[in-house]
Amino acid sequence: MKLLKLSRTLKEGFINFRRNGWLSVGTISVLAISLYIVSFTLLIGYTANFVLQNIQEKINITVYFSPEVKQERIMGIKEKLAGFSEIKSVDFVSREQALQELEQLSSRNEVIKDAIKEVGGNPLPDSLVIKANNPDQYEIIAKAIENSVFRDDIININYEQNKREIENLNKIVNLIKKAGMGLGIIFIFLALLITFNTIHITMYSHKQEFEVKRLVGASNIYVQMPFVFEGIFYGFFSAIISIIFIFITAKYISSLSQKMLGISSLMPFYWSHFWILFGILILLGIILGVISSFIAIRRYLKV
Amino acid sequence: MIKFEKVTKQYSDGYVALQEINLFIDKGEFVSIVGRSGAGKSTLLKLIYAEEYPTEGRVFFNDRPIDVIKRRHLPYFRRNIGTVFQDSKLLSKKNVFENISYALEVVGDSNEEIAKKVPKILDIVKITDKAFLYPHQLSGGEQQKVSIARALIHNPQVVIADEPTGNLDPVSGWEIVQLLMRINKFGTTVILATHNKSIVDNIKKRVIAIDKGRIIRDQENGKYII
Repeated sequence: MKLLKLSRTLKEGFINFRRNGWLSVGTISVLAISLYIVSFTLLIGYTANFVLQNIQEKINITVYFSPEVKQERIMGIKEKLAGFSEIKSVDFVSREQALQELEQLSSRNEVIKDAIKEVGGNPLPDSLVIKANNPDQYEIIAKAIENSVFRDDIININYEQNKREIENLNKIVNLIKKAGMGLGIIFIFLALLITFNTIHITMYSHKQEFEVKRLVGASNIYVQMPFVFEGIFYGFFSAIISIIFIFITAKYISSLSQKMLGISSLMPFYWSHFWILFGILILLGIILGVISSFIAIRRYLKV
Repeated sequence: MIKFEKVTKQYSDGYVALQEINLFIDKGEFVSIVGRSGAGKSTLLKLIYAEEYPTEGRVFFNDRPIDVIKRRHLPYFRRNIGTVFQDSKLLSKKNVFENISYALEVVGDSNEEIAKKVPKILDIVKITDKAFLYPHQLSGGEQQKVSIARALIHNPQVVIADEPTGNLDPVSGWEIVQLLMRINKFGTTVILATHNKSIVDNIKKRVIAIDKGRIIRDQENGKYII
C-alpha cells in the first residue's frame, strides 16, 4: 500500500517536473550553479590543504656558506646540526651538485643558460639543506643558526623567503574560501527562491487537480508528495550537472597546479575523494529541493 | 444525520451569508434547497463538507461536530460526502475512466480495486459506452453523469449537488435529477441546491427555501416558492 502511494506520487511528481519544460531547465541551472559554487569552494579547500601539505613537506632551510669555508668545516657543522632533536635531516649540497641541478632545471630556459655561460665558472656556494621534524620548528632552527658560533661562515639562509610564500599562499586560499562560501550562500538562497517559485507555478497550473483531490478526500500524502518529489528531481539533476562541471574544473586545476607549482597530478587525490563530494552534492541538492517544496506547500496548500 | 444548530456564517468582509440556521436532515432524505442567487444555498452546502466553518453555532454530521475534525483528518471525513457542481470539474487531460479512477487512486485504492469499481459505477450512471472519451467529447449532461459517478465512487452517505443542472438544457437537467433520485432510492441522502423551479416542483420531495441567509420555508412534498 505504501509502495503504491509512493510510486503514484513519484510518477505524478516526475510528470510535473517533465511538463514544466524550460521552467525546469531554468530552475535546474540556478540550482546547479549554487551547488557548483559550493563544491568549487570545497575543491579549492581540499586542493589547498593538499598542496600546502606537499609544499610544507618540501620546506627546508638552506644554509649557504661563503666560498672560503672548507668542506671539512661544513661537514663538522652538519654533524652538529644533525644532533638537534628538532632537525630531521641535514644534507650537504656541494657547489658542483648545485650547478648540475640548476643546469638541469634550466635546460629549456635560454636566459639562465646564457647567464651561466656569461658568468663562467661556478658561482654557486656549498650549502646544507635542513629538514625539520615539524614545520613549526623552522623558526626556532633558523634563529638558532643565525645566533650560532658558525654564523660568520654563512652568506645566506633562505627560510624566510619560503615562509613568506607559504603565508601568502595561505592568505590567498583563505580569501578564496571565504569568498566562495559567501557567494555560495547567496546562490543557495537564490536557488531556493527560484525552485520554490517553480513549484508554486506547478501548483497553480494544477489547480484543477487540487480541487478534485480536496473534494474526493485525497490524503495529504497524495496532495503533498508529488511536489516533494518534484523538488527532489530538481535537486538530483542539478547535482549531477554540477558534478560534471566540477570534474572538468578539477582536471583544469590539476594541470594548472602541475605547471605552476611543479607538483605531480592532483587527479589521484581528487578521485580518492570523488564519492564523498558526489554524496555531499546529491544530498545538498535534494535537501534544497525538498526545502523549497515544503515552503511552497505550507504557503499555498491548505494543509 | 446532518444538523445545523443556530448556525451563522459571516465572512471576513462583514457579509452575513447565513443567519441563525436550524436544520435537520435525516439519513436517506432527498432535500432540495431553493433560493435566489446569493441567498446562501452554496454557503450552506460548504458548511456541510467543511469547505467553510460557521462563525456561530455548530454543524453536526452523524452527531459529531464538524469543527472538531482536525485538518489532517478532513480528507477522510470528505470521503463520506460526494459533491457535484454546476461546472463538472472534470480533468480535461483524462478520459472518463481516468477521471473516476483518479478519485480512487488518490485515496490509495489498488489498481485491481479500481478495475472492479469503476466499470460498476459507469454502469450505474449509464455512461459505460463513453468510458474512454475525453470531457470535451461529451455533452454537458454526460459530463455531469461522470461527475456524479466520481461523487459516488466512495459510496458516500451523502451526495451534495450544487446547481448540477445550471449549465444544462431542461431534458439533460431532468436526466441528472432522475439519476440523483435513483441514487437516493438506494439509501444515499441527497441534498440538491437549485433555482430550477420545474425540477423542484416535479421531484415532490422536501423543499427548504432560503432567502437573505434565513430559512423561510421547510416543507415535505414542497414546491418552489420563495
